[in-house]
Amino acid sequence: MPDWKRLVRKRLSCTANLRPEVMDEVAAELASHLDQVYEQARLAGSTQRAAIRIALQEVKSWSDLRAQIRRTRSTEDGMTHRTKTLWLPAIAVLFATGLALVIVDRAPALQELIWIGLFGMLFGAVVSEAKNLNERTKRLWLPGFASMTAASLFLFAVNIVADPSRFFTEFSLRPQNVLHVESGPGLVFYFSWIIAHLLFGGLGAFLSRQAGGTRGARVLAGMFPALAMLLLCGIVIPISAFAEHNLFVERHPMTLVFGMMIWAGIPGIALLAGAAPFLNDTMPKGHPVAAG
Amino acid sequence: MTNRIRSKIARGSAELAILSLLEEKTLYGFEIARQIGERTGGALKFTLASLYPLLYEMEKKGWVQAHWEANSAGRDRRYYRLTATGRRQLAPLRREWRLFFQALDALSGVSHA
Repeated sequence: MPDWKRLVRKRLSCTANLRPEVMDEVAAELASHLDQVYEQARLAGSTQRAAIRIALQEVKSWSDLRAQIRRTRSTEDGMTHRTKTLWLPAIAVLFATGLALVIVDRAPALQELIWIGLFGMLFGAVVSEAKNLNERTKRLWLPGFASMTAASLFLFAVNIVADPSRFFTEFSLRPQNVLHVESGPGLVFYFSWIIAHLLFGGLGAFLSRQAGGTRGARVLAGMFPALAMLLLCGIVIPISAFAEHNLFVERHPMTLVFGMMIWAGIPGIALLAGAAPFLNDTMPKGHPVAAG
Repeated sequence: MTNRIRSKIARGSAELAILSLLEEKTLYGFEIARQIGERTGGALKFTLASLYPLLYEMEKKGWVQAHWEANSAGRDRRYYRLTATGRRQLAPLRREWRLFFQALDALSGVSHA
């Protein structure tokens, strides 16, 4: 009887990126399979030579099998060429530049531009790595990240164009002012921000659906920005407000509830509305069945 | 039909076949191939080269989990079992394939052929 393990090891010897213990395991498993095919053929009355031939017919191309095993069992250095050669260096340089500006506290507008670029590059790097990501990341975290990035970029862009920081400083703890008819610029900003959330929610849900995400994952991915705001308004702001004894909040605690509604609730509804068209069960393009 | 599309259909059907089998019980590679061949009357056949890359990919995705165990003859085999994630893949896969065959049937009456 042939030494199947030795044969498999020899044929898969060029399988780079596999740890020795993984290579041992693969060789043992494939050798065991060949051995069983061989034994089955022998039991069916084949000669030893014919049984060996039948077993070897299990693999038409060892080089194809090598490539497939390398792809499916390799855990080391799985980054794509583009990530290694473009995204990571660019991110490192940009991060260092932005950090330097923060440290010397100069050029705030440039800092904002750099952070926008950093967001975009991080997203590009993650997309480049899409084939190496696990299913949950592809179906939930990546679309959620895309949706949140889009929402953050919108705020950054508005900040650069119209300096809306006063809306946050003046109105963040007085949400009723945002809805007051006299605060025209606040209203314009707020409603354009909400309308943009239709697109952000749609983006998250669309990407999740393309990756085969469940309906729950699509909803969650689309609503990421609101969840982040909920965390901010529901936990971070209340804790910091009470910790520093903010008189306004202490006298008007309901402000926090309004804040959550204005900054998380209503955007959440807009995100969900944007995600809605992508919540049906249409098969993603490229799915084996859809492709047929 | 291009080879690319044919290979995607074959791959999708192979995933469904393996997941459906593992839903019933834990099996090792050779047994998976043997049972699929036997139960489909030879219509679906797996070779080593077509089976293990798929099993490894499903393992990577977290749909199945493997462990070594001695079989009844005392030989070590790598057994695969369906995970909760893999189980969740089954319902949509089955639904998609049902829709696919219904669509083909409406178009060409394959079920009456």
